[in-house]
Parts: sequence; structure tokens; C-alpha cells
Amino acid sequence: MKTRLFISAICLLTGVFFSACDKDDKGDVTPPVIKLAEPEEGDELLIGDKHGVHLEMDLSDDVELKSYSINIHSNFDHHDHHGTTKAANETKAFSFNKVYDDANGKKNHHVHNHDIVIPANATPGDYHLMIYCTDAAKNETYIARNIKLSTTAKKHEH
Amino acid sequence: MRTRYILGALGISMVSSACPQAVDSVRSVSLSEVIVTESYRQAQSKRSTLTLDVLGQDFLNKHFTGNLVQTIGHIPGVHSMDIGAGFSKPMIRGLGFNRIAVSENGIKQEGQQWGADHGLEIDAFNVEEVQIRKGPASLLYGSDAMGGVIEILPPTTPAEELLWGEVSLLGKSVNGTLGGSLMLGLKKGAWFVKARLSEKHFGDYRVPTDTVVYLTQLMPVYGRKLKNTAGFERNAGFFASYKKKRYRSDYSVSNAYQKMGFFPGAHGIPDISRLQDDGNSRNIGLPHSWVNHFKASTHQQYAWDGMVLSGDFGYQLNHREEWSAFHTHYGAQPMPEKEPDKELVFRLHTLSGSLKLRIIRSSSWEHTLGWDVQGQENSIGGYSFLLPTYRRFTTGGFWLSTWRPDNRISISGGVRYDYGKTDITPYQDPYLEEYLREQGYPTDKIDAYKWRSYPVDRGFGDYSCSIGVVWNPSSMHLLKMNVGRSFRLPGANELASNGVHHGTFRHEQGDASLSSEHGWQLDASYEFTYRNIHLTLSPFASWFDNYIYLQPTGEWSALPHAGQIYRYTGARAVFLGSEANISIDILPSLNYRLSDEYVYTYNRDDHTALSFSPPASVRNVLTWHRKRWELYVECRNILSQNRIARNEASTPGANLLHLGGTVRLPMAGTEIECSFIAQNILNTRYYNHLSFYRKVEIPEPGRNIQLFIKIPIKRKLK
Repeated sequence: MKTRLFISAICLLTGVFFSACDKDDKGDVTPPVIKLAEPEEGDELLIGDKHGVHLEMDLSDDVELKSYSINIHSNFDHHDHHGTTKAANETKAFSFNKVYDDANGKKNHHVHNHDIVIPANATPGDYHLMIYCTDAAKNETYIARNIKLSTTAKKHEH
Repeated sequence: MRTRYILGALGISMVSSACPQAVDSVRSVSLSEVIVTESYRQAQSKRSTLTLDVLGQDFLNKHFTGNLVQTIGHIPGVHSMDIGAGFSKPMIRGLGFNRIAVSENGIKQEGQQWGADHGLEIDAFNVEEVQIRKGPASLLYGSDAMGGVIEILPPTTPAEELLWGEVSLLGKSVNGTLGGSLMLGLKKGAWFVKARLSEKHFGDYRVPTDTVVYLTQLMPVYGRKLKNTAGFERNAGFFASYKKKRYRSDYSVSNAYQKMGFFPGAHGIPDISRLQDDGNSRNIGLPHSWVNHFKASTHQQYAWDGMVLSGDFGYQLNHREEWSAFHTHYGAQPMPEKEPDKELVFRLHTLSGSLKLRIIRSSSWEHTLGWDVQGQENSIGGYSFLLPTYRRFTTGGFWLSTWRPDNRISISGGVRYDYGKTDITPYQDPYLEEYLREQGYPTDKIDAYKWRSYPVDRGFGDYSCSIGVVWNPSSMHLLKMNVGRSFRLPGANELASNGVHHGTFRHEQGDASLSSEHGWQLDASYEFTYRNIHLTLSPFASWFDNYIYLQPTGEWSALPHAGQIYRYTGARAVFLGSEANISIDILPSLNYRLSDEYVYTYNRDDHTALSFSPPASVRNVLTWHRKRWELYVECRNILSQNRIARNEASTPGANLLHLGGTVRLPMAGTEIECSFIAQNILNTRYYNHLSFYRKVEIPEPGRNIQLFIKIPIKRKLK
């Protein structure tokens, strides 16, 4: 309100009053909100867990959700050292990439799945978990979590 | 509450708006004997139908920060897009990047236009006079000048034979800047030569916060200093001018080197381990970038009865490297054996030439004919890939006529046609191809993604035109109107890029079928001078029917670290706004100035604002001057910017308080000029909507005390 007053004062001052030509059909610029409950920052995930990783989050948007994607990739070098830390031959760097469309058209969407299954030959170490979510107007939110894959992690009780 | 207070102050200023003096920015005193006064500025202003700001030594010294863009950011309508405390690029009325041309000694500077983390590579110590044209200037300056031109003029030749020099020293507390510059000049006979060396070092800059929030993670700022934002700058320049009768030639060679670290928290996923204080606030670690800009140019001019033929020829090499510890998302990519941390390299060679013929056969008609040619070649290196190798050739011809039936009115109009050809070398990324195959993507998708740059070989031709009037009915009023069509050739990144930009973390995709950007621009300016009042209003409006911007597509990218794809797309866009400036001499020694600016941007296809829309702001300045002293207090109110594009954050407003002063001390036959500035005295935490670090929620520098000393030395030659 104050800002609007202020702006109109400026417009008056400059002697030019621009009535916005956009017939007030304002585009949506509010991004969706991701509330990721599980996994948490710094969580250790068990390699070879057949149940899959417990993932739980709430997605919401003020207008309409569109799609979301879950991605895990290695962060062995902290994007910092020299990429010589190549995985040993017997294990393979784990990666996960999946796009979901089940939130399409909703305002709120609860996600609970065990889709991320880490095979027994996955390389232990630091990984990034990233979740991207878009709304119908193509606003995007993403969050990043630092996670660890290990063979000794506690099995998630559910 | 505070806002209401400002509103009140604004109201008062509006009521009492009945009385300023010349805006201090416009008086320009240059060297000793040549005193260029307001009339010069007015004469200049009357020559252009565009809104023109002339910044002389007075203004440049008073607002000197060691960074030219931040200095000219004091002009309403001009903004600086900053990368930390060190480097900046200019924006005029909401148009930036390659929509603004910067020229030095008649040659268009090539280098600053690219990405958000590139600054302007010009020695701020070496600038004597700047002219800023707001509005469509592509008629005179070609494709890139659609938003305006910042023109750095060659040094003024002294009237008499002289040997002179200058020592300048700069210190800043916010990032421990220490800078100095040494200049020597000689005027003898037909020759005038001038050489300058400058150097500037700065450490990590202080921010008034202990944490920054990035991607919902709280990142610590140890010791309230932003890690690895230190840098340095080293510049050398040589200028020579020869003048005999009707012939004049200028020669200029300069080299600008800048090196600056990047805040590691702004590169990639936040990682606290990289933000630990390394105990040294002046080292430049990884990631960092350096750039070297070499430029050689000459101006040749010959005048004979009513004709002036001039030519400008120049060569520039912009060599930029970015260094970041080797990292890859593609398992198959080996670390390079030599210089493993060299991430990106580009070398942009530019050759440019222009010829101009001015015909002034009568007092009422003046014609200018011009022809420009420019050739560019860009080569690349490094383990990562961003911009492709390309060649670009542009040429354009124009005709401009001015009719002055009498002293009070002049009408100018002209047309220009440009042709440009861009040939982009395709680039296939074998490691990316392998990665996508491993990820199990189908062949058609792999084939679409493996091209990090598409093959493009296209020609563009388009015209610009403009017509304007300058009406000066009496010394009290000056009215200008200008309407023009301007255009811009799409850049190589807009045509051919395809991949994650390492600075913005977006998958940016070019479109090889883009047509050139063009629009109609209308702008006016009114100046009113009465006794001790000076008022300037300059409204503008622009319509673009193909404004190229990065549009979110909603399609998920297959590349790691990327969400949806952003594609360069043309949209219908509108820019509206105005600048206003009121200056009143309340007392003979006390001046009050109010200046404000507002830009409204609108994307008519997306129904949102355009990204990087500058927020409205108001400056209230009270200046007291007497004899050798000048003191000022400035209150700057930046409004919040809530008109944003998709996937851009809105930025809250701020009120800032600055103090400053200048004193001229006579000493040993010379006059030492000392300027003192205290910026952001209240150490307010605020954000710059246009800053590269805005998306990482890094506030602007905190309180800064700055001292600038200039010692001129002069000896007349007998």
C-alpha cells in the first residue's frame, strides 16, 4: 500500500502517469513450495536396502502444480578437488533421475514413495539429493540436500 | 513508518520544488586552463534529440569509487549491475547486457556484454568525460545500442604548451581497497601525449550479516567478510594526438587486466566446507576469473570547407578465463593433464572501422553520412563449455540530417541499415553423450542433447530510423522529443547455446531460428531553468515486438544440476518510465537536489514483468559549498521491487544514508584535491535487485569509508 502511494507520488512528480497497459491479467510469479520431511540434511542412506529410500514431502502452489522431479547424483569431490576420486571398479556411482506428473492440476500434493532403490554395488560416499517442482505457470522451486550413501546406515523404520 | 516519513519529505520537496541551480553533474571543469561550463553542457545537450547527460571531472571526482559503472550509476536512469564490490556492468532504463553500447575514444568496447558475471573493463582513473545517451542510439552506434550509449570521450587537449602529471590515491574500508594511478602528459607543438598506469587491490568485502540463505540452507559468513571476493586490477593506457591545421589524428593503446574471486557459495550447490575462513582476506582462491582487455585504436580527421571526414579504426582482444577446481558430472571426462582447473576460456578478437562525413555547408543544415564495419572471432578453451566458437561480421550505413531554421529549434532525422552475419561452430560433447547413454536415455534424446552448440550460419538485416526535435524557446525551457526504431542482432548465446550456465544454474537453450530484436522507442525530456531552480523531466516509452529473453519452458532438462529448460524466445514487451531531477539553491552556498527514477517493464506474452527490472529510487542530496570546501549528505531510498519475472526473487527496499565532502588544499604551487565518502553509514543490510549475488541472498557491502586524493603537477613550457 505504502509502496503504491510512493510510486504514484513519483509518477505525479515526473508529470507522467502511466496507467499500466496490462488490463490487470497478472501472470503468476509465485513459485511452488517444497517441504521435504525425509530424507533430512546429512542423512545416511543404506546401500542395498531393498525397500528403497523413504521419501516424504509436501508440495503446494497458490495456483496449480505441474510436475516434479527427483534427482540424486554423486558429490564425491565436493565439486572441489580433482576428479581423480573415481569409483573403484567393483562399485558404481549411484544416480537417480525421475520425473513425476501425479501432482498435475493440484494445489497441494503429498508425496510418499520408496522409488529410490540403491543397489548393492553403489559406491558409498557423499551425494546430492535435488528436488525440483514446477507449477502450471512454469515457476520453479528446487531444494538441495547433502546425503551420504553407506553400507552401515541404519535401516529406515517405517 | 519510515516510508511515511520519506513520503512526507517527498511531499515537501514537491511543494518547495520551486528553486534549484544547475545540477552539479553538469558543470565540468577540465584541467587548468580549459574551463568548460554549463553552457558547454547545454550546447552538447542541444545537439542531441536524446536525453543526454554530460559528466565532467567534477562529477567523476566527487563520485569516484574506482569503478566507473558505479560512479555513473548516480545518474537517474543508469544502474550498475554488480558482481561483488569490484566489477559492474551498466544498465540504462532497464536495458542491459548487449542492449547497451560502451564506447571509448570512438571505438565500441567489446567484452562486457556477455553474461551476468562479467564487468566493464575500463580504467576508471583514466576517464575525463562521459556522455550518456539514454534511449535508442542504434542509428549512430549500430545494433547493440538500442538501450543507450555510454561514451567515454578522448582527453581534452590543453590550450598551451604544458608538461603535467597527476598522482591519484584511493582507499576504501569495506574491502580494504588500495589503489593508485600515475599520469604524465605533454603538450608540445602539434603533439599531445598522455600516459597512465593504474593499479587497484582489494580484499574480501564486508557484509552486514553473519549468514546468507541459499537454497533454503543457512550459509555462514565468517567474520562478516564474504570469502574469496578479493581481486585486483592493473591498467595501462597511452594516448597521443597530433593536430595540424585541418588534420587531426588520435592514437590510443590500452590494456586492462582484472582478476577477481567468486564467492564459493554462489557456485553450485551450497557446501559449508568451502566457506571456512582461510585466515586470509586478500587471497584469490578458486573459483576465480581474470580478464585482459587490449585495445588499440586511431581516429583520423580532416576538415575542409564545410566538410569533416573522419575515420575510427580499432583492434580489441578480450581474453577471459575462469578457473574452478576441476569438476564434472560426466564420469567419462578425464581431468586435463595441463592446467586441470582451467574451466572456461574465451578469446574475442574484434576489428572495427568506421568512416563518417559531416557536411556543414550552411548554418541551417547539417548532414552526416556514416559507414561502420566490424568483424569478430571468438575462440574457446577449458574443460567446460559455455560459449561456442564463432565469427561475426556486421556492417551498416547511415544518413542523419539536422535542420536548424533558427537558434531555437532543430529537427534531426535519419535512417540506418545494418547487415550482420553470424557463423557459429557446432560443438558436440562426447562426455555428455556417454553420460546420457549411461543414464538410459533414448537415442533421439541423446542426439538432441549432445549438441552443446548448434551449427548456425545466418544473416540478419534490419533498419533503424529516428526523428526528433529540440526546441529551446528561451533560456528557461528546453524541450526534446525523439521517436525511433531500433534493432539488435541476436547474440551467439541466444542463437546456439545449449547447456547449464555455470553462473545461473539454468539449462539455457538458444534458438537458431530467432529473428532480430526490434522495437519502437519514444522519449522526451524537458528542462526548466529559472534563477536558482533547475528541473529536468525525462519520460520514455518503448515497445518491442520481439524482445529476446530466457523463457522457462516447463520441459525438464536431462542434464545434471538443471531443472527445467530456459529457451531464448522473442516476446512482446513494454518499457515505460521516467527520471526527474530538481535542483534548488536554497542559499547561495546551499543546494538541495532531488532525483528519482522509475521503470515499468511488462512482458505482454507472459503477463509478468521482465527480469532485472530496476527498482524505483529517490535520492535527496543536500550540498553545502564554500570556497575550497564542499560537503554533502545524501539520503537514498530504494523501493522494493515486487514486479518480477518468473523464477526471479522480489527484493525489499532500503533507505541509505551517505555523507561526503571535497576539499582543495593549495600546497607547493599545486592544488591537492581530497574527496571523502562515507557510504551506508547506518550499515543497513540491503539487496541490489540487479546484483549477480542477489539470488544467493548476499547483501550489498556494508558501511564504507573512502578517501580519494588527487595531486596534480603542472609546468608550463617556455
